[in-house]
Amino acid sequence: MEILLIAKYLVVIALIIMMFAALRASAYKSTSMGLLGSSVVVVAFAMALLVGGSIYDLNFFRDISLALIFFGFVGTVAFAVVLGGDDK
Amino acid sequence: MIEYIQSALLIISAILIIISAIGILSLGKDTKNKVYARIHIVGLFDIACIIAMIGLGQFLLAGIYFILAPFTAHAIANAYWKREDRENNSELQNIVEDVDENHPFLHPKEKMQALESENSEKLKADERFSVTTLEIDEGE
Repeated sequence: MEILLIAKYLVVIALIIMMFAALRASAYKSTSMGLLGSSVVVVAFAMALLVGGSIYDLNFFRDISLALIFFGFVGTVAFAVVLGGDDK
Repeated sequence: MIEYIQSALLIISAILIIISAIGILSLGKDTKNKVYARIHIVGLFDIACIIAMIGLGQFLLAGIYFILAPFTAHAIANAYWKREDRENNSELQNIVEDVDENHPFLHPKEKMQALESENSEKLKADERFSVTTLEIDEGE
């Protein structure tokens, strides 16, 4: 159906807008904001891959997006633990 | 019919993503606790992504991300609190409580700590065995 294709393109456009917003947010002076922005960019890119894979019927895009989401989570949590340090 | 439901879910998620993008950028300079507010807004983005994944038929991915997203948000907030917010804003440690003495439900922290300490008069009084007799006035 055409409306499904239009909705998918709408999601991709929204994700690109969100990526720019996250890039701007990661440029604020706090280190945690950089962490948050990079986390959002990774998830937005994974979502864009997922939508692109469904538009062009490419199944391995789903695997790449799963890897991005999972390892993005691992990296974010690991960096956050290192940033937090030992509790006093 | 399924295509319409999928389209509706995708359009809803696109609207939520744009709202969260506007929200991340539109917090003013004078807003307090901006980092926590932005983490909160990213929570909206996470849910929008989950809705989009459901709309695309990737239910397993949606479930995995639904579980993983709060851990990310909590880890970032915890790191910010421990390393940046607590170090830079030392006045956050000194919380001044303004509690009315006669409030029926809220009590000052010092009063509660005095009641719960080992040398509390209240605890000593509770250790004694006491029998209470109720006088029932049937005239009322």
